[in-house]
Amino acid sequence: MVQSKKQKNLFLAFCLVPTFILFAIFTLYPLFSGLYYSFFDWSGSSSNSEFIGLDNYKRLLSDNIIPMTIWHDYFLVITKVFGIMILAIFFAVALTQLKIKEAPFYRVVFFFPNIMSVVVIGILWTFIYNPSLGLVNSGLEFLGLESWTRPWLGDQDWALPSLVLPSVWAGIGLFMLLLIGGISNVSKSYYEAAEIDGANQWQQFWKITLPLVWPQIKISILYIVITTLNGSFIIVQIMTGGGPNNSTHVMGSYLYQQAFVQYNFGYGATIGVMILILSLLTVLILQFFMKREKVQY
Amino acid sequence: MKKKWQPTLIRTGIRIPLILWTLAVLYPIIWMFIGSFKSNAEIYANPWGLPETFNVQNFADAWNNYNIDTSVFNSAIVTVLGMVLTLVLALPTAYALERLRFRGSSILFTVYVSAMMIPMVLGWIPLFFLLMDFGLLDSIIGLSIVYAISQLPFSIFVLTSFMGTIPKELEESASMDGMSPYGILFKIIAPLSTTAIITVSIMNAIQFWNEYFMALIFLNSREKYTLGLAIDFIGSEAQYTNAWGTLFASLTIAIIPVIVLYAIFQKRIAKGMTEGAIKG
Repeated sequence: MVQSKKQKNLFLAFCLVPTFILFAIFTLYPLFSGLYYSFFDWSGSSSNSEFIGLDNYKRLLSDNIIPMTIWHDYFLVITKVFGIMILAIFFAVALTQLKIKEAPFYRVVFFFPNIMSVVVIGILWTFIYNPSLGLVNSGLEFLGLESWTRPWLGDQDWALPSLVLPSVWAGIGLFMLLLIGGISNVSKSYYEAAEIDGANQWQQFWKITLPLVWPQIKISILYIVITTLNGSFIIVQIMTGGGPNNSTHVMGSYLYQQAFVQYNFGYGATIGVMILILSLLTVLILQFFMKREKVQY
Repeated sequence: MKKKWQPTLIRTGIRIPLILWTLAVLYPIIWMFIGSFKSNAEIYANPWGLPETFNVQNFADAWNNYNIDTSVFNSAIVTVLGMVLTLVLALPTAYALERLRFRGSSILFTVYVSAMMIPMVLGWIPLFFLLMDFGLLDSIIGLSIVYAISQLPFSIFVLTSFMGTIPKELEESASMDGMSPYGILFKIIAPLSTTAIITVSIMNAIQFWNEYFMALIFLNSREKYTLGLAIDFIGSEAQYTNAWGTLFASLTIAIIPVIVLYAIFQKRIAKGMTEGAIKG
């Protein structure tokens, strides 16, 4: 009102420009030049590059580690979505519907691993899986199940499934809280009405709770899918480094190996483009299939 | 009659999985604490039990022989610098995006928020060369800047949604009284957003303290290592040197600040994280 248009624009610029410039330099530019890098044979230093068109993409299609890494990523996505969601829904319902006195205690404890560092979680679990000292094998021995013990992370068949447990362990709390938030917004009157109609707890869960927290469930699934596709390589890098014999390599850990260990930056960028495309496609497809009319009673 | 005891039975039954999960969450963490006081011999002889004496030798070893002291210092600097820088950048932007209608404001907001969904690993390759050109590779300052920018989208998202709840009348009357927009931002909006600012800052601090992968890519020299890298280094050394007690001690050192923060700000952290997750 008092201020002139020029002053207003100056203030806008003050608020937006420095932040946007830094964001453009450190986030937007790297993303777009990542796409650009994928057309180059780019190794070692930035001066040492050669335009090779689609050669990196041809290499990607004939690289037989790539299908393995994609499969591993989706194996983690699927097992984590089911593992986390089933337990999170169970805990959320148990802690809201059943009037358990010490519910706040469980909430605080279950959420804690969510704020632990991936390195700490990864190394702690590497130790839990340690063949001679770890909790898993010594626990199995204690139960008289010696034949079940194995070097979990060193076993080609078991290494990848073994990575699911730490992620579920660390992830449940957040989604439990999201669902608890959703459930507490459901009006009590629905349950009262159902009670009068003689619906038991189980029926109430399927007919009332689940449909009404569908938005939270949808968000949680999408969130797990995105964070797994974009970030599962961190726990892989810490716990197995992609081994044994590539049996745990995911797309991101393979990118890291190609770019930052073997210095094939161009090919690494190509893998990055593939990750980007696959995660966007997956999210789009998921959103299409999870579209479901919002339930209103 | 049946109605009366049935819920009690269900409640008792449901407690079993709840208690089991509590053990599953707490036991490994407690095990790690206990392990940090054990000698190697004790770890091998008795992986589940208590140590004979609570020996702090592992902590001394980690601190002195494995340079954990330098890494704690580096992590602390990255955390504080990153936290302050994110806030300085995010606060004015969040205010402008929430309150000042201008052409392109919703597009700009979408750009920031959608960056939360993009796999950043693609950008890390060019970022590596960019930092190299700026002389910011293998630098704590460089890492702090990268960290700060990486948390911008989340911070802007949470701050804008909080600022949306501040009544507009306050700004209008201040503006009538002749207060400049800068004054309104720093003397009215910022103090009123303290809750959100604290939440965002805690979230960012935890993120920066815990970060591992960008540090792995952008730092080289041992004396620049953040805590995550130092622990990972001790972890891979322990395969050969069997320094398990030292490893447990450094894990404990890394986790104590997080536990303290969580104990103090438990509600806020939970709220901040769920708000950040809703973005999807």
